[in-house]
Amino acid sequence: MSENATALVIDDEPQIRKLLQVLLEQENYRALESENGRQGIADVAQRRPDVVLLDLGLPDMDGLVVLERIRQWSQVPVLVLSVRDGPADKVAALDAGADDYVTKPFEATELLARLRAIQRRVHGEVEAARVEAGHLVIDFASHIVTVGGREVKLTSTEYALLKILALHAGKVVTQKQLLREVWGPNAEEQSQYLRVYMMHLRKKIELPGAAQRLLKTESGIGYRLVVPTSTEAGQS
Amino acid sequence: MQSEMSTENVSLPQKSRGDAAPVAEYIAAIYFTALLTGASFALEALIGYRAIALLYLLLVVALGIRLHRGPVLLAAAASALAWDFCFIPIRFSLHIAGIGDLMMFGMFFAVAMAMGHLTSQLRASELAERRRQRRSAALYELVQQAGLAPDLDSGLRAAITLTENLFGVRGALFLRHPDLTPAKHPHPASSFSLSEKEYGVAAWAFNHRMPAGKFTDNRPESEAAHLPLQVGSEALGVLSILPSADMILGPAEIELLQTFAMLIGTILEKDHLLQGVKQAEILNASERLQRALLQSVSHELKTPLSAVQAGIDALIKETGKGGRSQTTLHEIQQALRRLNRVINNLLDMTRIESGVIHPKLDWCDVGDVIEAAKDLTADVVGSRKLEIALDRGLPMVRTDQALLEQCVSNLLLNAASNSGIGTVVKITARVVNGQLVVTVRDEGKGIAESELPHIFEAFYRGTEARPGGTGLGLAIVEGFIRALGGSVTVANSRPTGMEFVITLPVETLRPDVLEKLA
Repeated sequence: MSENATALVIDDEPQIRKLLQVLLEQENYRALESENGRQGIADVAQRRPDVVLLDLGLPDMDGLVVLERIRQWSQVPVLVLSVRDGPADKVAALDAGADDYVTKPFEATELLARLRAIQRRVHGEVEAARVEAGHLVIDFASHIVTVGGREVKLTSTEYALLKILALHAGKVVTQKQLLREVWGPNAEEQSQYLRVYMMHLRKKIELPGAAQRLLKTESGIGYRLVVPTSTEAGQS
Repeated sequence: MQSEMSTENVSLPQKSRGDAAPVAEYIAAIYFTALLTGASFALEALIGYRAIALLYLLLVVALGIRLHRGPVLLAAAASALAWDFCFIPIRFSLHIAGIGDLMMFGMFFAVAMAMGHLTSQLRASELAERRRQRRSAALYELVQQAGLAPDLDSGLRAAITLTENLFGVRGALFLRHPDLTPAKHPHPASSFSLSEKEYGVAAWAFNHRMPAGKFTDNRPESEAAHLPLQVGSEALGVLSILPSADMILGPAEIELLQTFAMLIGTILEKDHLLQGVKQAEILNASERLQRALLQSVSHELKTPLSAVQAGIDALIKETGKGGRSQTTLHEIQQALRRLNRVINNLLDMTRIESGVIHPKLDWCDVGDVIEAAKDLTADVVGSRKLEIALDRGLPMVRTDQALLEQCVSNLLLNAASNSGIGTVVKITARVVNGQLVVTVRDEGKGIAESELPHIFEAFYRGTEARPGGTGLGLAIVEGFIRALGGSVTVANSRPTGMEFVITLPVETLRPDVLEKLA
């Protein structure tokens, strides 16, 4: 990961801005601040941050609108940071183009892990030939998936599903997006397919008795391929 | 009773009554014919006997404008005979001498009959037209006065007054009760009430959606007529009218009254719909307010909490590992997590109590829901042995995954707080008769039977509860499960511990059926 990446915090609460700045600078980010939506949009355009932390409850406009405006011309990774914790709020933000969602109050370690995950995708690291997550290795070139060094046979649907989650490793992927990309645009409401194939996929790649599942369910939202922290430490 | 009534129906000659001519018209027809005959004797010398035929024709036409068809035809026939008898040679005999006069007589008779017929028909259609006009004027007035009235009561008052004035009767309205029977007492605007017997007839009209009582085919011996306020297949009440004893209403009037009743029904329905819309608007507004309030409270509580949490996290990182301040900071962090849980529980409880929970149903893999709940509570429940026993071939169920997951998590947290480290917490899931049954069982001490009924009450804490809980976890489980249409029960289990049972009615889908489709 490039040193001194720039992070833009769009939040109307000065205390949150200040403390996020401290946290980010501890992680070698250069932190910028915007106190409302209008200024935030302008700052994204002019100061070209590498990642944006966006609050949804802004005084001048809804954070979702800010997100939609930014997405009209920029693909900068955006992490939504909000007190709104309902699945519907999260799905709305992800559908509007957010890369991930963290609810306030947040744990610093989780926040920073999510930031790294959404930046990784943009920096092209997952365009590499393989993704590792704990005991799981996915080799995109040869379509070979190994669990603990042993190759597992996946059907084409199972592989397609795993590939999307791996391309977004560490990030939540909405149910709608998975259904659309694997089964086509008409299948967005057919969640039953997704449930069945996730069931199969888990049987093949999860290690029984593992402390944490690799394929994490975000109820009412979607799924996330968890990249255990040990792997991450090894990468950086 | 029924068959008796139907024979009465047949015997009632109602159809012709409205068109029958009174005897007076027949007398008038003869009278005017005689009068003209007398006058013609004086005129004959002046104009000749043939011109008198034209005077008779004029009379028939004139009578046709005023009288019914029967008297006009009588006048035509009488004129022909009078002319023949009194004026055509041979006079004072019906015998006609000349061939020309015979032809004249024949033609006069034919023309007089035709004229009489045509003019009376013209009059009949004019009368019908006038009736139609009166009728539409009456209906228009009803819509104007009653339909557009500011409130229902004044609308119904206007409808009754209009009915009374138009038909010269007394009117009463009996509206439908919420239990779908007609009210016993008339609407306050009514000008009479019904005897027990008459009420029976009104109820018959209401139940059969047909007019009943006087002037109708059903129970015509009654004093009043009763017309259902019908809208579509529903009756919203009864319009009863009480005519004076010698009054007669024909089928046309009854039909008009029926239209009145239908219109009043429509006015009632309009009012019901309006009230429904208003009710929904009020509910909607209060729900929006609740949501806004919750969102703002949640924002106000969680924003400073986030700041504290972020500050502590930054400090922990800065002070480095080890040392007393590190321990202190971790204690603060634990306390913050607990505070956050309390706030979330309070907010959830408020959501439940203000009824703003709307489950979003979707297909769920129950095994996954339980695993997710396990992940979510791993920091607390991790020190217990978790046994998960899912029924073989457990189908997918349709429910709100996030709500169910939180319920299972809360039950797991509860089980952990009631039992010792290293004990077993067992979760089972199965589907029985279209109901998802999830059980969570611990190996703790259980609680006194007397406390069991209170365990789902908000802020209830068992006498032996450990410190740290909010007293809300189980109340939230109960609230969420109720919102999902199910129930949750608790019992002490043997040999020790407690068992919670969630029962949810669900749609199910077997995964293997789906695979064949996919």
